[in-house]
Amino acid sequence: MNALALAAQLEAITQFRPEALVTIENLKVRFGDVVAVDGLDFSLRRGEFVSLLGPSGCGKSTLLRSIARLVPVASGRVVLRDPHLRIGFMFQKPLLLPWRTTLDNVLLPAEIQLGGSVVDQTDHARARRLLDMVQLGDFVDAYPHQLSGGMQQRAALARALMGDPEILLLDEPFGALDELTREVLNEELIHIWQSRETRLHTILMVTHSIPEAVTMSDRVIVLTDRPARLVEDVEVGCPRPRTPDDPQAVSVMKHIRALVRGRR
Amino acid sequence: MTSRVQSPLIFGLLALAAWQAIVMAADIPEYLLPAPSAIIANVDRTLVVQLAVTFVEALIGFLIASALAFGCAIMFVRFNTLEEGLFPIAIAVKTTPIVAVAPLLVIWLGTGWWSKIVAVILICFFPVLVNAVKGLKAADAEYRELFQTLGASRAQEFRKLRIPYCLPYLFSALKISSSLAVVGAIVGEFVGATQGLGYLIMVSSAHLETATLFAAIAAAALAGILMFYVIGWTEERIVFWHSGNME
Repeated sequence: MNALALAAQLEAITQFRPEALVTIENLKVRFGDVVAVDGLDFSLRRGEFVSLLGPSGCGKSTLLRSIARLVPVASGRVVLRDPHLRIGFMFQKPLLLPWRTTLDNVLLPAEIQLGGSVVDQTDHARARRLLDMVQLGDFVDAYPHQLSGGMQQRAALARALMGDPEILLLDEPFGALDELTREVLNEELIHIWQSRETRLHTILMVTHSIPEAVTMSDRVIVLTDRPARLVEDVEVGCPRPRTPDDPQAVSVMKHIRALVRGRR
Repeated sequence: MTSRVQSPLIFGLLALAAWQAIVMAADIPEYLLPAPSAIIANVDRTLVVQLAVTFVEALIGFLIASALAFGCAIMFVRFNTLEEGLFPIAIAVKTTPIVAVAPLLVIWLGTGWWSKIVAVILICFFPVLVNAVKGLKAADAEYRELFQTLGASRAQEFRKLRIPYCLPYLFSALKISSSLAVVGAIVGEFVGATQGLGYLIMVSSAHLETATLFAAIAAAALAGILMFYVIGWTEERIVFWHSGNME
């Protein structure tokens, strides 16, 4: 590597804000023959709530999966500042194991981490606390088929938190739920992110809803249709708590809508 | 629940009554078609002993075949090369009629228990293998991604996801092979045996003891039904969570 290239790389490194937890560098992801993500750069800073916004099937889920290392990267890099960073992942479907009670589903990450040994009282207590936090305290012994869609997704959230993540990656977590349930769960997610009850501090969420992205996030990363490329990294900057009809939020939504429309 | 038992029972009794009436009215000789009353009169200790022999042969073969097939299925799914290499051979074994192989089994294993048990194993193995392989692969890709994000090992993925997910598939295969098990045992007995329902059927048909023959046939059916219901009962308790809604 010649000196000039090294200097350029050094400059690039020092330009990142020091608190960047995850840095996506010129990321390209293929899905078979299709390019799902093409040349994307952005970073995720500690304490942020960031949304990835784009049309359905634009490659944003693939992007999220590549950060979680579920999908191989074709070129470019996903850099974690701390290699031991605990990342949680929440899917669009609850993916609860139907033969386990709510409590046993939430204990699954602990069981897997422990390997052969049995989960102890501390894990049980923590799982129950998390279930209380997502309002499922009365349903610890229920089986998934006895829970509503919203309750199943709450259980999935508790399970994702059981791994004690610092970053949570959410792939349209409440996308399959009705509007009302979805709003309530979004508010609770914000509450969990803001509270100090867990070690979770940073969230990256995939969504295709502009109001959801704007009311929840510090930044909205607007992506093009497949392959996903960056349109604009929008700083929301409205004070919290927000509602979708705050004048400031409305103007940000208008701006994003214009960006999305302009791309079609 | 009661009507599920009641209505087939009522229809069954009606059919038996009609049978009895026709045989008596038309004065059909017993060696052609015995009346139900004549068949019931033939139920004795010997029949129960022969039924027990066949049932035990079928049960042992069934248990060995199920365990063997499930173990093979796990290996097949875990190591793809094994599946590619051995699955065609398994199909070849399956398509060979058990009746054609049974005489060979008697030559190799004699007229005792083992020739029957091996015939049962040969007939029960394949349905369990096929369904178990299908069931072990049935968990959605998303479930496997979930286990990946949790950092699960391959062994954990099998133990905590694939095997429980496979159970409904396994049980439907066990129900199929449980009725086949009785067939396998009787075929084995046809070829060379000194006891069992198959032996009783051969002997009574040679002597034109048609009532005994009918009693043996009914006992064979009973053995199959018994196996089927024991497995159904176990299934309801183990796979209680599987009621069609896997979401």
